[in-house]
Amino acid sequence: MLDAFSRTVVSADAKGAAIGSEDLADLRKYVADANKRIDATLAITQNVSCIAADAVAGMVCENTGLTQPGGHCYPTRRMAACLRDGEIILRYVSYALLAGDPSVLEDRCLNGLKETYLALGVPTSNAVRAVEIMKIATVAIMTETNTGRKMFKGINSGSGAQCQDIASEAASYFDLVIEALS
Amino acid sequence: MKSAVTTVVSAADAAGRFPSMSDFESVKGSFDRAKARLEAAEKLASCLDKFTNLAVDAVYKNGSYEQANKDKCVRDIHHYLRLINYCLVTGGTGPLDEWGISGMREIIRIQLLPTAAYIEAFIFIRDEIKINDVMGQQAETEFKGLLDYLINALA
Repeated sequence: MLDAFSRTVVSADAKGAAIGSEDLADLRKYVADANKRIDATLAITQNVSCIAADAVAGMVCENTGLTQPGGHCYPTRRMAACLRDGEIILRYVSYALLAGDPSVLEDRCLNGLKETYLALGVPTSNAVRAVEIMKIATVAIMTETNTGRKMFKGINSGSGAQCQDIASEAASYFDLVIEALS
Repeated sequence: MKSAVTTVVSAADAAGRFPSMSDFESVKGSFDRAKARLEAAEKLASCLDKFTNLAVDAVYKNGSYEQANKDKCVRDIHHYLRLINYCLVTGGTGPLDEWGISGMREIIRIQLLPTAAYIEAFIFIRDEIKINDVMGQQAETEFKGLLDYLINALA
């Protein structure tokens, strides 16, 4: 598993070069934005069940056959498995966001995920839709464009507008999940 | 590779939980020292050749080691300083452990190179070179901490 720092080290080692000023600029930004990154990760961890439940509910609403007898979310046991997987994906996205590098998500979550779903008969197109909704919800919470409670209310580490960069980084991790499943 | 953040994430993943408040605290704690570490890494990168040559020249000038080995010594000291540069960036000893220490002593022995020369060279860098001229106090402390770690591992 790598983070933003060890990623720089591994690519520098491949060249056999020491890490100089120009490579350190990104890492300095990572350190300077540490508080924002932690708050953005908190935005996921504090809203996990909400994000996952909304995404699965949205997926079902768009395709009501899923919860009917014969559908992939019938009976409730399979619906519960779906919610659980949503939370697992969010957990690995939160790890990747904290580390500033997608390797943990790729190694420990996405590697073989599509094959597992195919073997279990999970329709990946529906799973992709749920991940898309989770992405939209997460970005909305981080950038404070959501309705309801605002992430930075009461704390002063930043504002939704300042979280654009980190929100798009989080979105890129969701995109990796979508890419791996489709 | 081990660093402040990956250790925390591994532990959280092993327990199957989301990063907790105490995880965030320990990540933040490592960032408090990151400024000094990154400064040390940057300055070390710019002085890598200078430090290497000063140290190896000092060790080999009194003739207690075979001059034929000098080039190899330069190569290896340069390699180790580069790994220290990496360690300063990651904030852990991962790069030195994985690429510099495990097996390295045996390799130096098998090439019949004197490990004592390496240790002398690193002690020279630690004690004789005025590191303070190139980097700040805190950065110097971080750098010397890693030099000590390496010296202990090779000794």
